[in-house]
Amino acid sequence: MLQFPILSLIVFWPIAGSFFVLTCFRSPRLVRWVSLGVTLMELSLVASLLFLNLHPQAGPVGTWLLQEDYPWIAWLGARYSLGLDGVSLMLILLVAFINVLCVLISWEAITDKVGSFFFFILFLEGTLAGLFLANDLLLFYLFWEIQVIPMFFLLGIWGHENRIHAALKFILYTLGGSLLMLIALIALYVLHGQQTGIYTFSVYQLMQHAPFGHVTEILLFAAFLLAFGIKIPLIPVHTWLPDAHTEAPTAGSVDLAGLLLKTGVYALFRFAIPLFPSAAKLLIPLLLTLAVGGLFYAAWIALVQTDIKRLVAYSSISHMGMIIIGVALWNFITLNGAILQLVNHGLSTSALFIMVGMLDERIHSRQFADLGGLWGRMPVYSAFFLFFALSSLGLPGLNNFVGEILILIGTFKERPIIAILGFSGIVFGVIYILRMVQDAIFGEVRKEHVLWDINYREGVILVSLALAVLFVGLHPGPVLKILEHPVQAMVGPSGHLAMGR
Amino acid sequence: MVTIVPYSHVLILAASLFVLGAGCAIARRNLIMILIGVEIMLNAAGLACIGAAMRWQQLDGQAFVIFIMAVAASEVGVGLSLIVYSQRRTGTLDADRYDLMKG
Amino acid sequence: MTAILLILLLFPLTGGVLNAVVGRLLPRRASEVIACLGVLGALGMAVIALILGGRDTYHLTFFPWIKVGDLSAAMDVYYDPLAAVMILMVTFVSSLIHLYSVAFMRDDRDYVRYFCYLNLFVFAMLVITLADNLLFVYLGWEGMGFCSYALIGFWYQDEVNANAGRKAFICTRIGDVSFSIALAFCFVLLHSFSISQINAQASSLSPYLATLLSLLLLGAAVGKSAQLPLTVWLPDAMAGPTPVSALIHAATMVTAGTFLLMRLFPVVQMSPTAMLVMAGVGAVTTLYAGAAALAQWDIKRMLAYSTISQVGYLFLAVGAGDIVGGTFHLVSHAFFKALLFLAAGCVIQALAEEHNIFRMGNLRRLMPQVYWLFLAGAVSLSAFPLLGGYFSKDRILLATFMHPELAYKVLWFIAVVAAFLTPLYTFRVFFVAFSKRADGRRAADIHPIPKFMAAVLWPLAILALGDGLLNLPGGIGKNFLGNFLAMVPGARPDLGASSALEWSMGIFSAFLVIASLILAYFLYSYRPAREPAMVGLHKMLCSAFYLDNLYRLIFVKPYQAMAGFLWRDVDNRYDRGLVKGAKALFRPYRAMAVFLWLKIDEICLNEGAMKAAGGLKVLSSGLGRWTSGRLSTYLTMLFLGLAIFFGVLALGYPW
Repeated sequence: MLQFPILSLIVFWPIAGSFFVLTCFRSPRLVRWVSLGVTLMELSLVASLLFLNLHPQAGPVGTWLLQEDYPWIAWLGARYSLGLDGVSLMLILLVAFINVLCVLISWEAITDKVGSFFFFILFLEGTLAGLFLANDLLLFYLFWEIQVIPMFFLLGIWGHENRIHAALKFILYTLGGSLLMLIALIALYVLHGQQTGIYTFSVYQLMQHAPFGHVTEILLFAAFLLAFGIKIPLIPVHTWLPDAHTEAPTAGSVDLAGLLLKTGVYALFRFAIPLFPSAAKLLIPLLLTLAVGGLFYAAWIALVQTDIKRLVAYSSISHMGMIIIGVALWNFITLNGAILQLVNHGLSTSALFIMVGMLDERIHSRQFADLGGLWGRMPVYSAFFLFFALSSLGLPGLNNFVGEILILIGTFKERPIIAILGFSGIVFGVIYILRMVQDAIFGEVRKEHVLWDINYREGVILVSLALAVLFVGLHPGPVLKILEHPVQAMVGPSGHLAMGR
Repeated sequence: MVTIVPYSHVLILAASLFVLGAGCAIARRNLIMILIGVEIMLNAAGLACIGAAMRWQQLDGQAFVIFIMAVAASEVGVGLSLIVYSQRRTGTLDADRYDLMKG
Repeated sequence: MTAILLILLLFPLTGGVLNAVVGRLLPRRASEVIACLGVLGALGMAVIALILGGRDTYHLTFFPWIKVGDLSAAMDVYYDPLAAVMILMVTFVSSLIHLYSVAFMRDDRDYVRYFCYLNLFVFAMLVITLADNLLFVYLGWEGMGFCSYALIGFWYQDEVNANAGRKAFICTRIGDVSFSIALAFCFVLLHSFSISQINAQASSLSPYLATLLSLLLLGAAVGKSAQLPLTVWLPDAMAGPTPVSALIHAATMVTAGTFLLMRLFPVVQMSPTAMLVMAGVGAVTTLYAGAAALAQWDIKRMLAYSTISQVGYLFLAVGAGDIVGGTFHLVSHAFFKALLFLAAGCVIQALAEEHNIFRMGNLRRLMPQVYWLFLAGAVSLSAFPLLGGYFSKDRILLATFMHPELAYKVLWFIAVVAAFLTPLYTFRVFFVAFSKRADGRRAADIHPIPKFMAAVLWPLAILALGDGLLNLPGGIGKNFLGNFLAMVPGARPDLGASSALEWSMGIFSAFLVIASLILAYFLYSYRPAREPAMVGLHKMLCSAFYLDNLYRLIFVKPYQAMAGFLWRDVDNRYDRGLVKGAKALFRPYRAMAVFLWLKIDEICLNEGAMKAAGGLKVLSSGLGRWTSGRLSTYLTMLFLGLAIFFGVLALGYPW
């Protein structure tokens, strides 16, 4: 273990920052700059991990690049256990990066209760970092539940017209799923304890349990799957997402789409599937059906949306469907593709939401009826919009293509029909994305507005996102290298889902 | 032989005197009468002390009675002066009229 | 060699990127110069590569791109004579088009965007031409799709143009689905994306798998080259600026499909079935588009259908197994079609955006230079004996006829009919637009166009007329191109036909063309042609056998309707249903809460607490009477207390 508890620092620095920000609430300017400082510091902390030249080390809780393991609630068997591997590293890097952008994008958009807003944003950042690093199921569950609370307030206070409805829907859906997960968690704890005599929440130890009864395993896995499926979201439990995304403030949408959705997928492949491999293997067809269905269904619906933010929300569901195909297949190539696609989706969808948010700041409307012909008035904005739309489309040379092609080619080996369906899905993608682009920036001007092109702050956000997109699209080597070892560990020597250890 | 008065007789007398004095202090409304009652109680206590001195053949009891008498006298002096003062202030000697502490 | 090819690719890429980033800040001339240099530099590099490389084949790696496990996609280059010919043709024609565009777009304010996309388009095409790794090809493929979308829909302010661009992108993407499945197939079967490796392993494929793979590749090519059934995007793509049409439809995009098939010919060769299908698609499309071109009144649409028709010949060539013929005709077609498009562009601009040929006329007198240029192109397209496309088309027909299978004879016949139609529709337009007519245009109608625009076309005209020299069937330049391409897998420099067959075919084609020309003259020039009514046969041909309407009916409308249905009736209702369900679940909860509140909490607990509080109040007021302030009370209480105290003592005392 590294002497300096950098992982805990990464988790708690934003939380501490959030409370500090709260104390400055009287001065919005100070609040913004302090938040920016906190998030930039977090980004540099996480980035420094890349340069530490870490190697996997075996430890009491498994093989990690970095780990911290302290006793927490000893009589319950819960430990404060954080572990870093390539996958979590990429995801907390995404968290740190996206949150810097969140702070920047909310600079002028939020004028009311600024201190509380940034408090919630920073608090959410810390919680997410903790979620991606947690190694202990109780600790994970704690972070999982807590992440909902700042999001609820962000939605409910700074959202748009229908925000209360959206916030309530969000919190009820998520907590409903989490309740089932909690029951399954406790059941797992108890069953494992009865089996081995050790009552523990440590994932590493729980993963080594001998299979319980067939039905029990399936029930437990199903409960986990439901909770994570609501977050991902998988159809048919996706209906909270369009409302939540549409009504949230820009930074809220960016956080939601860019990060919170990832937690569901992460939990699926980090906890749910490795804990119950036999049940997972059985339910893979279900997972694939839901994923492919979501891919087409959401893409189809996205075409007729009148609200541009809602369209992007449905595109999120569609992309997630693709990612779940990769996770469900569980071989080396598709998992690499799926995790890479998590990062990619985080970048491109956040970019699209940021662009829509910028539009909202100018026009105060999200309806297509108020858009049209923007290229003539805001050429730089439109160029970026087109760029990110292309990235969402999966144009080769940009980021989404790499993830998608890995997933689909890896799938083709085992289940060619699913791969062919996935490939056909790209046509559906083209149709709604081109519709979005055409109705927003091409075509005739439907309504006259006062418009201004992007300023320096917005330029910094967009350029950094564009660079990230290009980097992953043209040179995914470094990212894939970081992911190589943990994915190999997850997949195991057989290259497929191991039937228990 | 000199017949010694049994201590219990002395105590009964002292007790009755005490009760009489207490009754006087309680039942009367006139301040001076309350003071008289207190005097009687003091005397009763002194009587009890004398009897005790006789019983245990020690002079401490007798000495104590001298003290009691001295204290009683001074206490009467102070008390009477207070009563005279308050009589002048409020114009009455009725204990029930001094109810400023009514809560 | 690596450096040369790398610079070749980087020239247009840098041009495009520079224009995109700083184009608006530079003066107009500078931006145009950057764009033109981008392509001219590539041309220079192509020439150098040709000189240095000769007939050798090179495998070069530029840049490792994706590597996961055994899935490896690097930016590799496979430079062989076929690629050499292609890049030379592409860069040369693109350079001319860029120069032409400088004049054509002189009044347009969005020139930066235009030149940026034009350069990126050329870059994408060069990537496709040079790439060794199929994923790298796919990058160029999609990139070209996007650039074509952007260029076709360039004048986006008009919905029609934007829609045309969108249609093009979607149609080609359908082809791309086929391509990606083929990619996955290659990886799973042959464990490689590299074209050279795939070709090397091609013989290990079973006929069934080879057929499947070839058909998938055919699907991809059909999308990009606008063959049946995906022809519908190309005529609408005429909404873009004319130089764009020239670039996309003459030289580059439509040839990309055929090129892919030619590159992977060893695989295609393994499956005679697929080759037959390919040839069939090509032949039928040729006839279909030729017939449709006969009824077009828009000069550019005629050229569009003509392109579809000629590219059909390319597919026929590959299907018949003749790569050399295919390449030959590809190059010819690039020259004369670009010439025709650009000349048409001159006419269109001169007549203030007039596309309808029936509103032209008298252009021979009014625009003599364009007249001669257009004539040169028309003659080449018609495959007039000894000029232009005669030798290339003839070779393809010969190859088809010589194929052992009977079905190919049928296809040959179809192609011959189409060959008859070609001069007919070409010269129909030529005569109607250019010849002297009473109701034609007058001098006052002509807007002056820069002389440069026409001047740039002369090299193309010369090449179009004289390109037969590239691959003469006999004599001095015998099989020049064929021999150059000899090392390309699957190429046959010499078809091995008997002299008699060659001569008879040649004379037959010549006869056909001349007959067609005479017919055209009688129909369209002898008497001035009037615009026919848009009914019946004419309407059917003009709308290309209603294919577009058919697609709209069975794909577009249901798709949109389904989308609406899924949104309103499924998702929306489902969501509201869930909300209602949740609220319904919530009702008993709420009722219980109300019950608990009113009945239990209010009545029992609250009231009880209040009553208890009342009792305490009584108690406290009772006890409060002790503080009467009366001396007698206090004394009484004092004694009472003492009494109790002593009493307790007395009781507890051990008597």
